[in-house]
Amino acid sequence: MARQLKEFDVIVVGAGPAGASAALRMAQKGLNILLLERGETPGAKNMFGGMMPKCPVVDDLIPNFWVKAPWERHVVKRTLYLITKQSATSMVFETDASDDSPYNGYTLFRPVFDHWLAEEAQKAGAKLLCSCLVKDLLQKGKQVIGVTVGREKGDLRAKVVLACDGVLSFLAQKAGLRKEFSPSQMAVGIKALFHLTEEEINERFNLVQAQGATCEFLGCTEGIRGGGFIYTQTETITAGIVLHLDALKKSGIAPYTLFEQFIALPPVRRYLKGARLVEYSAHLLPEGGYRMIPRLFTDGMLVAGDAAALCYTNGLNQEGMNLAMSSGFLAAETVVDAFEKGDFSSKQLRQYETRLKESFVLRDMKIFEKAATWMHTDRLFSEYPRLVNRIMEEIYRSDGTPRKKIARIGLEALKGNIPVRHVIADLLKGGKSLIW
Amino acid sequence: MVVDDLFELTSFRIHQEAHIRVNQNACAGCSHRACTFSCPANCYQWNEERGRIDFVYEACLECGTCLLVCDKGALDWNYPVGGFGVRFRLT
Repeated sequence: MARQLKEFDVIVVGAGPAGASAALRMAQKGLNILLLERGETPGAKNMFGGMMPKCPVVDDLIPNFWVKAPWERHVVKRTLYLITKQSATSMVFETDASDDSPYNGYTLFRPVFDHWLAEEAQKAGAKLLCSCLVKDLLQKGKQVIGVTVGREKGDLRAKVVLACDGVLSFLAQKAGLRKEFSPSQMAVGIKALFHLTEEEINERFNLVQAQGATCEFLGCTEGIRGGGFIYTQTETITAGIVLHLDALKKSGIAPYTLFEQFIALPPVRRYLKGARLVEYSAHLLPEGGYRMIPRLFTDGMLVAGDAAALCYTNGLNQEGMNLAMSSGFLAAETVVDAFEKGDFSSKQLRQYETRLKESFVLRDMKIFEKAATWMHTDRLFSEYPRLVNRIMEEIYRSDGTPRKKIARIGLEALKGNIPVRHVIADLLKGGKSLIW
Repeated sequence: MVVDDLFELTSFRIHQEAHIRVNQNACAGCSHRACTFSCPANCYQWNEERGRIDFVYEACLECGTCLLVCDKGALDWNYPVGGFGVRFRLT
């Protein structure tokens, strides 16, 4: 290897949405970028639920981004199910506004999308090196000055290292930016992809052309904190479940057993009828919310995307890829400034945190700070879905028994199951995290 | 059933060496053996006869669940050598 290959302005570790966005931006600004990816190709190790929400930075990276990017369907219809083994109550939201481009959310395949985005970074001048696992950071005192890779004479030097190495970020740990994870901060997502024809999917979800649908399910995880999901792509449907690791550990149940139960639930089974299984995957996701975010910078290094735990759910929104791309972009802008000043100290790189705090990335995570705790309320995942379905069942059941008003039905359903004061406490907690 | 087929459809490039090593001495003192049911790829199994954990690294999806649920520090956990391990095609 020639000497010039070993010295770079910036080394970006991980060619996912955060890393590739950052590499693309910095290459556009004329910096000499090395983008490292441990997979055979970018995206080979990456998995997500299924939808990327629209976010403004993509058009700064590539004009008409969504005309060029490989996506599957644009989401026009979102359904939330509260489900038990016997019955399901759902709420569907759809709007004409979803049909205006650029769309509000896109389903896509990560191995395809991530590959494309990394290629765009390459076209802009970044050097992409795949099949390359970063082993450690190179440090001179406290300053990060490069990385070591799993090859002979594998020292690669740079003024700045940008760690986009995913949810487990060993680099953030090695730099002392994060503490050990606890199982309560993480969830595992498992999913399978099923093939159907485009027409079958459109019929089953009541969609036209490239319109897409998403479904979230609460109550399908045997009381384990988590939920089920369905996303539609052009000729495939994704079905999967997410499980908090501390709750999974206590349960003694295997994720794939829960998955099998999930796809056997009548509404899910009907969507998947006759579909051919294509691929199975699993990945962790950060579930700790705002309080889980590590220190985002140190001398000579920044952290972005899942590696910085920039990912959240509040029960209604599930966001990650948009936060990854935006944080990668803002990290890139910070590094470009640092090169103009010739200063790579943490004092200069602190700008990254300021930029994130001003953007929707940390503002959204901050506003739903309490939602992470709310999503650790066990009753949301078994008792409440059962309660709602019991009430609905009684509202609609016709058998000549005199009817009762809803509050009476609710109170009778609660009796012996959940103390009313717990319900009030949960409502207040949920309200504070989501509603006011 | 679907579950039996699940694991058959994921593509791998298998390295000759395991990327995760299990310290059986640490496992001996574990009461919950959470790895044996939490792993989404069913890579860990308790072998009653030999009194140890049998670990199949070849089917590992590299998710990290085992690392998080193990509280005995029994795992020397690394990603596979670059270019090896799971390779998702569409997911």
